[in-house]
Amino acid sequence: MSQTFGHPEAALPAADSLHIRLCDGIQHMEWPQAGLTADFLGVFFADIAAAQGADSRSARHAIGYLVNELLENAIKFRVPGGEPVLVAGGVDEAGFAFEMHNEATVEVAAHFGTLLEELTSRDPGDLMIERIEANAENSSSGGSGLGILTLMNDYSAEMGWTFGDKGASGTLDITTRVRLPLD
Amino acid sequence: MQEIKTADYRVWADGATIHYEGTMRLSGTEAYAPVQDMMGAILAQAPAQIVLDLTSLEFLNSSGINLLAKFTIEVRKAAGTGMAVRGSTLIPWQSKSLPNLKRLFPDLELTIA
Repeated sequence: MSQTFGHPEAALPAADSLHIRLCDGIQHMEWPQAGLTADFLGVFFADIAAAQGADSRSARHAIGYLVNELLENAIKFRVPGGEPVLVAGGVDEAGFAFEMHNEATVEVAAHFGTLLEELTSRDPGDLMIERIEANAENSSSGGSGLGILTLMNDYSAEMGWTFGDKGASGTLDITTRVRLPLD
Repeated sequence: MQEIKTADYRVWADGATIHYEGTMRLSGTEAYAPVQDMMGAILAQAPAQIVLDLTSLEFLNSSGINLLAKFTIEVRKAAGTGMAVRGSTLIPWQSKSLPNLKRLFPDLELTIA
């Protein structure tokens, strides 16, 4: 049975959207592709956002930060050689809408689901400070969840996740949907 | 002068001032370790104040924000060393995320100009 966290209802604008497939095939999915793809989406949508009244520079940076954070996670936790990561974005008067589909093993999804349950349960600003203080006690901690918390708290992003059913290959599809207001 | 330099970013220390420039989107705590070590070495010298100059750091991912946050807590815990963080209004992430450092360490001097 599918599971949801946060507010997964935010949809892409019906009219205009840009879709990219990142494949883990001959061109292996690698870390820098997160930043490159994020920068591209940021540049691509900056002027479109400006035409809607947003500040072009702020839009480019905020979209770049959002896409990079989510793609870094998708690349880090991907199923090697598995399904492509699909990202799509669009801009309308309410800001930037983003959707990502990625495949995850049952183990990765279970761990991520537990994290999301915590991250969406309380005020993201308070949670961020608490988690940073806890991370500081553990020198090897990479601050898991901090990217999502900064997006929700510092960028006022509305975020939601839907975990699909386990497929024949023993993996499942995670859909991430985000609404990012633009300054 | 200590310096860490790649095609994407440059970090260097000039006395107790650490400058950051470019785009830092490293893959996690281990990848940030050389930068963390440089910052830790300066704190170990117990200067009166450490300055982080971020005014040319265009992009930083959340692992990098975690590095700054953890360092802020280390300075807070080290008696006798103050901390100033300088950012730029031209770099949007700084106005959004740097105030969190002030929340972690209220005595920190944060200037975004």
